[in-house]
Amino acid sequence: MVATAFSSLVAMETEEAQIARGLRRRDPDLLDALIEQYQHRLLRYLLHLIGNRAAAEDLFQETWLRVLEKGHLYDGRNRFVTWLMSIAHNVAIDHLRKRNPSSLDEMKDPEDGAPFEPEASGPSPLDIAVGKQQHEMFDAALSKVPPLFREVLVLRFQEHMKLEEIAKLIRIPVATVKTRIYRGVMALRPALKGGAQ
Amino acid sequence: MTNHEHERAIDLVTRRGGEDITAADEAWVESHLSLCSECAEYAALVEGTGQLLRSVAVTASSALVATTQARVHARVAQLHEQRSRRILIAISFCIGAMSSALSAWLWWRFGGWVAQHVGLPPAIVEPGILLFLLLPAIVIAGLLLAFPHPVFEGSLMLALAREHEGEKR
Repeated sequence: MVATAFSSLVAMETEEAQIARGLRRRDPDLLDALIEQYQHRLLRYLLHLIGNRAAAEDLFQETWLRVLEKGHLYDGRNRFVTWLMSIAHNVAIDHLRKRNPSSLDEMKDPEDGAPFEPEASGPSPLDIAVGKQQHEMFDAALSKVPPLFREVLVLRFQEHMKLEEIAKLIRIPVATVKTRIYRGVMALRPALKGGAQ
Repeated sequence: MTNHEHERAIDLVTRRGGEDITAADEAWVESHLSLCSECAEYAALVEGTGQLLRSVAVTASSALVATTQARVHARVAQLHEQRSRRILIAISFCIGAMSSALSAWLWWRFGGWVAQHVGLPPAIVEPGILLFLLLPAIVIAGLLLAFPHPVFEGSLMLALAREHEGEKR
């Protein structure tokens, strides 16, 4: 079991090291593969953070251009996805600052409308019909959660990142990550309670 | 129950699912949740948040991926070109510096040889060679100061006009 864990660790290190080497070389094939691999996760993260599909798609492209330009800074010691999300985080923060430099908590543009534009998915039409109202309520509730809390919720519960990884990514203490998650979950409480009823 | 126990329970509930929790911690948090309604409610909210977030399907379109890849490829080509240009400039600079040093040394030796054959003292020959080496640059600088070139004047005026136009906008 230990040997299996060790071999998987070595495999992961090798993969991350390969990505780091490829990024230093600015290998276009590697970048193509990375864009393909992380397309949905990155867009989902940006969409939750920004709350607007068109802006999220612009930032998606901007993130990959920045990955290309800053690729030499990735050393392969951390997971690539964490580094990618930190680049996306910085790109999104720059975007939000340009849009409204006063406070990130107040960055939600009221004209942006529905934040997610989720594509309907589900095993059956019945499930979709049943879940639709719940999703709409949840989307509306999530759009009211400040981006700072929304971000950690997405990273923790959608991307399954560890608290320490999130802290490193956003450059905040772990205690602050926990507080933001707590406050984010509590902000969603009415929607979750409503959905459960 | 102490505050510390609640904090520990909330910490473990938050970490659960994304991180490896020891069996002992798992057992402890379960027993705590069975006794504490507030922490149990938080655990349920965390579970619900996770489920709902995961149920929101967001997919990147193939057009977005293709556009991104094309932009990345174009930028890669641009960066490679910039790098090649920088290397070329660096090589040109090195060759220029080396040839300048070599020609200065040759002129210096030539001056010494002339001084020896003509019988001039080094106090005259050495500043003379220095002046000879710097003469082209001094002459051009002097001419530019004396007769400002219309091209430079035009460029300056153009730059000022553009700046003025930018300020107006």
